[in-house]
Amino acid sequence: MLFNSLHFLVFFPIVVGLYYGLAPRWRGALLLLASYYFYMSWRAAYALLLLATTLVDYYSGYRMSQLPTKQARRPYLYLSLISNLGTLFVFKYFNFFRDTAVQLAEALHLPATAVPAFGLLLPVGVSFYTFQSVGYIIDVYQGRLEAERNFGRFALFVAFFPQLVAGPIERGGHMLPQFKRTHRFDYARVVSGLRLMAWGLFKKVVVADRLALFVNPVFNNPREHPEGLVLVLATLAFTFQIYGDFSGYTDMARGAARVLGFDFNLNFRQPYLSASVPEFWRRWHISLSSWFRDYVYIPLGGSRVAPARAYGNLLAVFLISGLWHGANWTFLVWGGLHGLYLVVSTWAKPARERLAQLTGLAAHPSLRQVLGVVITFVLVAYAWIFFRANSLSDAVFISQRLGNGWAALDGQKVATLLLDFSQHYRPELAMAGLGVVLMLVVEYFGRNRSLQAWITGQPFGVRWVGYAGLTLLILYLGIFNSTSFIYFQF
Amino acid sequence: MLSPAGWRLISRLLLLAGADVLGLLLLGPVVLGGHVDAFYGRFTSPQAGSLIIGTSRAAQGIQPAVLAATLGNRFEVTLLNYSFTLTHSPYGPAYLHSIERKLRPDAKNGLFIVAVDPWSLSLTGAEGSFPEDNSFIGQLGQVSQNPNLAYLARFQTKPLYRLLLDYATATERLHPDGWLEVTIGIDSAQVRARTARKLQDYRRLAASQHLSSGRLAALRQTIELLKQHGRVFMVRLPVGATLLQLEEQYQPDFDQRMRQTAAELAVPYLDYSAQPYATTDGNHLQRAASQDFSVRLAQDLKGYQLIPKSEIPVRK
Repeated sequence: MLFNSLHFLVFFPIVVGLYYGLAPRWRGALLLLASYYFYMSWRAAYALLLLATTLVDYYSGYRMSQLPTKQARRPYLYLSLISNLGTLFVFKYFNFFRDTAVQLAEALHLPATAVPAFGLLLPVGVSFYTFQSVGYIIDVYQGRLEAERNFGRFALFVAFFPQLVAGPIERGGHMLPQFKRTHRFDYARVVSGLRLMAWGLFKKVVVADRLALFVNPVFNNPREHPEGLVLVLATLAFTFQIYGDFSGYTDMARGAARVLGFDFNLNFRQPYLSASVPEFWRRWHISLSSWFRDYVYIPLGGSRVAPARAYGNLLAVFLISGLWHGANWTFLVWGGLHGLYLVVSTWAKPARERLAQLTGLAAHPSLRQVLGVVITFVLVAYAWIFFRANSLSDAVFISQRLGNGWAALDGQKVATLLLDFSQHYRPELAMAGLGVVLMLVVEYFGRNRSLQAWITGQPFGVRWVGYAGLTLLILYLGIFNSTSFIYFQF
Repeated sequence: MLSPAGWRLISRLLLLAGADVLGLLLLGPVVLGGHVDAFYGRFTSPQAGSLIIGTSRAAQGIQPAVLAATLGNRFEVTLLNYSFTLTHSPYGPAYLHSIERKLRPDAKNGLFIVAVDPWSLSLTGAEGSFPEDNSFIGQLGQVSQNPNLAYLARFQTKPLYRLLLDYATATERLHPDGWLEVTIGIDSAQVRARTARKLQDYRRLAASQHLSSGRLAALRQTIELLKQHGRVFMVRLPVGATLLQLEEQYQPDFDQRMRQTAAELAVPYLDYSAQPYATTDGNHLQRAASQDFSVRLAQDLKGYQLIPKSEIPVRK
């Protein structure tokens, strides 16, 4: 079930109505049922996988809570890790590693063993809920978190429908206590959740899905669009599409949770305003980057080791992060590229400081900030090419031709290319531009203040006219073909 | 029991929904007038006693109003152009069923123009699997309902603002009788460029498709069905010289095959493919040419025994 579907539009009010109508002791069961229904509406059988993950991790956590030392707890940690990572491997990575091994064997003229490929469908959201579950298990193992003894509550923590299929990846320490509380109907809170959902829907159906109209034809057939201008425009469009899509989803997830009385952690903080790549990763998909920081980077030694090892740690984390996004070389290169950005950024920091002193930029922090934002944006946008391209060869083709044909551009050629890029319908391109600008203005406006508080401070009439305006914008400008969210595939 | 705050929220959300409904009323004239897109109006009109069927060539090339004006009441009203596009309405089981639904069951003296060309009888891939089964032609059970909510919910995919904008600025206008009027630039350079693109598209089709036994069988079934409701004419519409040449290369014996089919089914076959009518892209007739062609077709139909006026039932 997609947040931008008619199905969800019916499902959600029913769940909310029942939730606040029921006695508090039944609410957890309702949310659990609703969450499994939500998941099963995609493919019923795969709910068994979700249940199996839940059972193994509940058992592992429960057993660990009865054992005093880490050493005693370790077998249950391994049980959970093998179960979770094994599931991920079988469903997500087996065919990738198999194909790579076969190709390698062929390249080395070695006899390739005939291991059959699995014809399994990737369970939606599997990377999200397994990571959330693994985080819980590690926290229990480390003694940072009490194991949850109530199975229903734990099952709800794994399967809670607003964040089940695309995050944010929440921590047990943050969510489990919330499931124990009784959430009373709070008018202001519900309205604020609905506002967030509407804004997320705007970002998804007005901005991201519209940009996809221009991005997909180019990235799906880059050889038919070898002009640098078109490739740059498609890359820029994807840069905003993925932000609108994923942050839109997150806003809807956070909004839905808030309506029900729950708080999710912030997943995005104006990432395209970052002045460096490390800052970008503190603002983009925060729940995943902090997960990698806490459960992979720091256990590897983090930055408290020799520089070469620290750089290696960074690269390793980003390569794994790339692989987490998808079993494809394109994601691996995307992750590697970001790892490289971070290594270079850290390594060259003293040199950059010296350069800033030499050029006088150090005396103009605002200018330096703007320059940093622009450079970071270009680097991030360039890396998105590898993320979006259907194959590595497509990504290389696009990269090589970004500078193609700029010298020969004149007004007429630009007009022709723009018409081609807009799929011969200019108003859509104008709407896309308008949507991106509106999204960025709102996000910029909210960088230093709470937009929710600002809206709440407005007079009643202004607020509700604004809501009507936003919903009408969504209805009139939205693209409602029930396209899936990009991050559902991970 | 709902708390006062709950009631407050519900009442305000209802007000918001009311405001949105008011905002959506702007679309009323467009939707109720059937101007949603180039197809919708054909699914909102009542069932018809006479039909023009085929692909976009027929949709743009044959004007029911011209035929009706020339032939008067020599066939059962109303005459509807129920042609769509090559993607949606090539001959096949889906189109046949859709035609069956659109046809007035009690029609006895209808006029049926069945437009044929090699493409609408061709298929990519294996026999038995028709891509249009998944389109509105195959999926829409109710084809005479205004507003047609099933079509709007499932097949109207444009953002709503475009319904207004396209209505105001559209180059395509679907008439109530199903004729699709297309107003685009027709200076020779534009036509040349479009013709070259279209030819490229059809060359690709010629390389990937084959004449389909399933589609030919469906054409026969369609004609058999229509014959029970009136007089059927197989018509091959005029096209540009280059596309005609490609069609002859792709299916050299197509014309012969159609003549044979027509003879076996005892229906006339009128071939206008080589007639010099101006097109917008080598495939579709220009607006004026479509008018001229419709007049010519009507004149030719006059020569056939249609229905004596006295036999035409008067519809109330």
